Amino acid sequence: MVSSKIVSILQEIVKVLEGKQEELNRLDANIGDGDHGRTVAGAFKNVLKQEKELEGKDIGEALQIIGRTLAFSTGAATGPLYGSAFIEAGKKLKGKEKLSLEDWKEALSGAVEGVKRRGKAEVGDKTMLDTLYPMAKSLEDSIEKGESLKEALLKAKDAAKRGMESTKELVSKRGRSSRLGERTKGHIDPGAASSYYVIETIIKSCLKGE
Amino acid sequence: MFLKKFINKPENVVDEMVEGFLAAHSDVVRKLETSRVLVRKEAPIEGKVGLVTGGGSGHKPAFIGYIGENLLDAVAVGDIFASPSAKQIYDAIKACDSGKGVLCVLGNYSGDVMNFDMAVEMARDEGIKVEQVIINDDVGSAPKEKKENRRGVAGEVVVWKAIGAKAAKGASLEEVKEIAERVNNNTRSMGVAHSPCAVPSKMYGGEPTFTLGEMEMEIGVGHHGEPGVKRMQMKTADEITEMLTEPVLKDLPFEKGDRVSVLINGLGSTSLLEMYIIYRKLTQILEDKGISIAISWIGEFFTSLEMGGFSITLTRLDDELEELLKMPARAPLFRYP
Repeated sequence: MVSSKIVSILQEIVKVLEGKQEELNRLDANIGDGDHGRTVAGAFKNVLKQEKELEGKDIGEALQIIGRTLAFSTGAATGPLYGSAFIEAGKKLKGKEKLSLEDWKEALSGAVEGVKRRGKAEVGDKTMLDTLYPMAKSLEDSIEKGESLKEALLKAKDAAKRGMESTKELVSKRGRSSRLGERTKGHIDPGAASSYYVIETIIKSCLKGE
Repeated sequence: MFLKKFINKPENVVDEMVEGFLAAHSDVVRKLETSRVLVRKEAPIEGKVGLVTGGGSGHKPAFIGYIGENLLDAVAVGDIFASPSAKQIYDAIKACDSGKGVLCVLGNYSGDVMNFDMAVEMARDEGIKVEQVIINDDVGSAPKEKKENRRGVAGEVVVWKAIGAKAAKGASLEEVKEIAERVNNNTRSMGVAHSPCAVPSKMYGGEPTFTLGEMEMEIGVGHHGEPGVKRMQMKTADEITEMLTEPVLKDLPFEKGDRVSVLINGLGSTSLLEMYIIYRKLTQILEDKGISIAISWIGEFFTSLEMGGFSITLTRLDDELEELLKMPARAPLFRYP
């Protein structure tokens, strides 16, 4: 059942984010106010409370419900940005109960557009976009090369990781950290990190048993 | 470096604070049942534009201290230094709309801007007339050419006072919005800090998010524990007052013959003793420039937990603004005269 699989992935995300909470808080303390770990873990914990709403929904609908909860009930910059990512990804997956490589690519492109539009950021501004965009590009690449779904997802996961790591040397151009300018160099962006952990968890869960 | 605080579990800080505040001010304020939003008891008030603001906690008296007579109607309460959620803001809008519409005022921070945008969209979809004004009075955070990137700091308090009065007079939504914009456009602020604040994150306190050397201070400091723009050695109160006032005066620019309101805002652990010394120098500077002071507010209006520092806010007044700022107002943490 689609929804029970999605719920178990959400539970896994919460577990991972709780484990990474200190690290994410620390990343955020470097260039912000130190609460991103708590905020993003809390955001997904909140989504889990909507478990019942997800029953019987297809993937597209489920992602939009998750996105709306994230967008409306989280607060901080985290809520609207993560929310937009899930909502726009969900819109591309209407009626889907299983995902092809093409679906994954569409979903990630949607997520990238959503975050770009809501946050008014560009790739290279040192945000979660720097994690999501390389992943979307990698999936496009894999389609062109005719790779298998599994191969493509593993490659995309690595691309996302490298994207997250690339934020270390970037100067922040969006959000609170942009006030610090050059001082943000040498620090990985907390949103880029948390979105990597979320995406890594989703991919790992989806590939489990393959 | 660990800053001690009188708290229980760090994750319960804001909820417990709200409970205490409600207990102390239940004659003025109530909380919505399913949302962390505080609302004026009489709201929605027939024939009056509703006034909504919201922002992170940790800035007391802002925001909830300003809910009251001839001031604000509803406040969405965020986590410390974090924007409240779109849902909370939407609930705040609904709670104070009597049909005459609602004005939302918020500081220029990406989190707040995104959440208010979504809430306003949602409210408009339901047929509520809503407008918003984003405050960006902080000279320290961006040059004049990039004014849209400037933070909203203590100037937002002056906006609240003015719109609180204007709305109480029965003005339309457009008129109240225009007052908010007029005050914002005529207000400039600049701050300094010599010691940081800490978000409560552990038992008994938390770590500050930046450290300054023993004799260092930071000009252009932010209200969320983010450090400022220029770091330097401590100077005297008179020197610092000059360093903050000069760019503020230049930026508008304020000119000879102008009448202003003055707000000296303590950021949390700076004493009134110090603030009066600062104000003394400020009055000398303004007199020297031929600028007269119509109203002055000295104290804590928009703090940043226990940050050691202060900001100077000047607002150029016209007759109407002066009258609005001088209208009596009463709220749990702000009273005029």
